[in-house]
Amino acid sequence: MSEKQRNHSIFDTINEYMEEFEKLADELMESTFYEGPSWNTETCCIHALSNVFVTPREVIVTADLPNIEPETVKVEAVDENTIEITAKMKKKVQFVDLGINHRQGEFSFLRCQGRVHVVFDVEKMKISWKGGILEVRFPRKKRYQLKVE
Amino acid sequence: MSESVEIVEKKPIPSEATMLIGLPDVGLVGLIATSYLITELNLEEIAYMDSDLLPPVVVLHKGLPHALLRIYGNQNLIAVISELAVPVPAIYPIMREIVDWGQAKKVKRIVSMGGTPVEGRQTITEPQVFGAASNQESLDMLSKKGLKILNEGYIVGPQALSMRYSVSKKTAAIALLAQSFYNYPDPEAAAMVLKEFSRIFEIKVDVSKLREKGEEIRLKARDIMKRTQQEMNRMKKSQEYDLPLYV
Repeated sequence: MSEKQRNHSIFDTINEYMEEFEKLADELMESTFYEGPSWNTETCCIHALSNVFVTPREVIVTADLPNIEPETVKVEAVDENTIEITAKMKKKVQFVDLGINHRQGEFSFLRCQGRVHVVFDVEKMKISWKGGILEVRFPRKKRYQLKVE
Repeated sequence: MSESVEIVEKKPIPSEATMLIGLPDVGLVGLIATSYLITELNLEEIAYMDSDLLPPVVVLHKGLPHALLRIYGNQNLIAVISELAVPVPAIYPIMREIVDWGQAKKVKRIVSMGGTPVEGRQTITEPQVFGAASNQESLDMLSKKGLKILNEGYIVGPQALSMRYSVSKKTAAIALLAQSFYNYPDPEAAAMVLKEFSRIFEIKVDVSKLREKGEEIRLKARDIMKRTQQEMNRMKKSQEYDLPLYV
């Protein structure tokens, strides 16, 4: 047993669970009670639509990325449960291009995040791009097979 | 509390017209196709819907407020669109009112354009369009025109109700459904369904501009798609993936 594990008390474990619970509660509150805009003028990002599918072998994240340069697509794991996709737009879009004249700002990127609740292997991701849709496949880690007697 | 649903007429309503319904649904196919058709054919606003069941929202266009659910038309066509994902509790009375109103206006038929969700839609270059109808005569007409019939499956949401109420009102109703994304705006599917509508009902519509504007539409339609998805989840729209059992 390592030094770290020896010093890890039950209270630390509870604290970790509480922190995780609070994080999930915050996410839930955010999604339930406050819906922010689908853009951010500070980061010049428009939020892209995305989906996360979990199959027995893979985690598949798709994102609808119109008006982007496919070679600029970046896929990153923000933490062990969150995937972030960003891509640069072919041309900057301003509010006025979307018919809006009471706001100011321009956007250069599309961005989305996907939460995944199973463990997956970021190193072995496969990316494909078809019909304006980005698809990222990650193999799942820790698959257990039960023996049938 | 009043829960009335009323269609307020602004201009004379033609009779014997084809009534199109394009409410937000899978891939926003019906909404994109119908609103594009309204612009292309330069249809004018002839009526709108007022209801306490709809959220307290107006949409501003060129500085003026408009109802979210509006009806456009010319002598041959009536087109119903909504710039709002219709809340699930409001779908029944709203669809009943639309069908009743259509019958009162002696519409020839009701046509709903929309999408049918398919997995791996991004791998399909030319989405296929399928037809369904409220009576055998309409179904035969679609077959004769060479449209594939959606033989077995579920339809969930506004189109399902337009079919259901049309049967009870003995009004012919047709659904034209293109293979589409479930929760990404799908202008290409809208173009395909519009092309079929144009071919079957011999109404000339050029869909090239819709295709050109595809990326712009996908960018602009994210918010309404997101809200539509919330309503689709509430109405169990994913049941359209289910296999029906009828032995």
